[in-house]
Amino acid sequence: MQHAPMRPSGGRAMHARRLGAICMGLGLGTAALAAPPPLATEHLTVATLGPPSPHWAYVLDLATNNETDERLLVFDADRNEHLGQIDAGYYPSFAQSADGKTTAAVTTYWSRGWHGTRTDVVEFTDNTTLNYTHEILLPPKRMQGPPSAFGAAFSADQRFLYVANLTPAASFTVVDLGKKAVAGEIETDGCVLVIPSGPRRVSSLCESGRLLTVTLDETGHEASRALSKPFFDADKDPIFVQGTRNGSGVLFVSFLGDVYGVDLSGAEPKFAATWPLVTPAERGTWRPSGNQLVAYQPRRERLYVPMHVGGEGSHKVGGSEIWAFDAAKHQRLARWKFDPKRYGAIVAVQVTQDEKPLLFALTDTSALLVLDPDSGKIKHVEGKVGQSAWYLVNP
Amino acid sequence: MSERSRLDAWLERSSRSLAQRTSRRGFLGALGQILVGTSLLPLLPIDRSSRAEAAEGPGKGHTDDPKSCEYWKYCAIDGFLCSCCGGTSSSCPPGTTPSPITWIGTCHNPADGRDYIVSYNDCCGKTSCGNCWCNRNEGEKPMYRLSLNNDVNWCMANDNPNYHCSVSVILGVAEK
Repeated sequence: MQHAPMRPSGGRAMHARRLGAICMGLGLGTAALAAPPPLATEHLTVATLGPPSPHWAYVLDLATNNETDERLLVFDADRNEHLGQIDAGYYPSFAQSADGKTTAAVTTYWSRGWHGTRTDVVEFTDNTTLNYTHEILLPPKRMQGPPSAFGAAFSADQRFLYVANLTPAASFTVVDLGKKAVAGEIETDGCVLVIPSGPRRVSSLCESGRLLTVTLDETGHEASRALSKPFFDADKDPIFVQGTRNGSGVLFVSFLGDVYGVDLSGAEPKFAATWPLVTPAERGTWRPSGNQLVAYQPRRERLYVPMHVGGEGSHKVGGSEIWAFDAAKHQRLARWKFDPKRYGAIVAVQVTQDEKPLLFALTDTSALLVLDPDSGKIKHVEGKVGQSAWYLVNP
Repeated sequence: MSERSRLDAWLERSSRSLAQRTSRRGFLGALGQILVGTSLLPLLPIDRSSRAEAAEGPGKGHTDDPKSCEYWKYCAIDGFLCSCCGGTSSSCPPGTTPSPITWIGTCHNPADGRDYIVSYNDCCGKTSCGNCWCNRNEGEKPMYRLSLNNDVNWCMANDNPNYHCSVSVILGVAEK
């Protein structure tokens, strides 16, 4: 014989009634004794920023599925927060002022969105507010392509902005920032991009492996030009155009992993002896690759390069490791592995230029890794920064 | 001339020289003549065996599907495949306009064992298609070697330079 389970008292119906009474009593009591005050009235405001920090990452979202709508996403790597956005149009190039307070976006729009009259323009944003401040119209011939440090660049004194053109004839536009007007256009004999140096010099990369350097006068017009000796071989081992500033010069790396230092402090460029990122055994196997593949920290003379194992034609696949070098001693200091299955392949690196630097890395899954530049330790992973994070714009 | 073909070198020298010496319209016309001429050349003397092997490698099994990034003709393509955007591997989608200028490459066709010279034209005049992103770079070179570069917007010289998608058009056989 099976017995019914014991109940404290009474049947199921009585139990429910008692429970209801308890709840009602509790509700009435709470309302009477401890009603929270209503939420305060809100006033709609616009968030403000502090002064620009060297630890802000300006991530270019190439928006590959809708490239007329690219943008810079501003991320604070100290607080790990998204701060805001700078819209940037179609295949933009960027330059930032040395004080970090201004972003210049060189871009293209059409009067009907995807068609109509083409307008090339440089738009200026105040980085302390992310407000658009003003613009200067450009000739409709600016280079449209993935960004490098040399698609647009300020002169050292920030009197001029240089903008690379490609129609496919190569030239650059000189913008007088004081007059807020175009000063002129300089033909570059097939050499591409704008690498500024000194007060008024602009160098461009030529397929012959030379640098064309144009010196401007104080009105922004050509005063002289000179072609250097060849310093790389575009047939045997081309250099990536995505170099990085190195004081008064530039560092490039080649497809096979040699470092090419160019000193632009004098009237004529000087070329340092190349040095390898790879050992003889690694050469042709371990290679640099990505969209932005050199980051340099001048205070520590550290060089960071995403590396991968691959063959010819793999120069854009991104790195499975970041290699850190002492650029003064030409020594590899560390190899840091980042599981591509977990983070994606590393396609861009940038290191902040301050006394307590951070190393940033973007992956092909649009993750932003914030790294300790001494240990390679991951300090933060921002899993998804935009649709197609491509490049880091920082002064 | 270990990695580059003589044809590549000639095309580049010619196009670079033309770009430097002529107006844009004149340059495009002349470049078009070069490319049309190229398609008429039989059995060009080109050694691209290393590149051809690289193109064949990882894509085996999908090399005959024009909607796959591993399709043999796409060995240096960078962008959205027009095959997935209303066109084919050699035709632009309706309502778009082919780019008159282009970058070139040599791809190996595993089906017949031949290497082919191909031009990668962009289709222009509409915003990005968004389907079948593909980025392969056998033989691709940086922007200072423009005719072998797939980074720049090759719609740059179109009336409407909006990039939509990319095709790969056979220009001729590259004889080893």
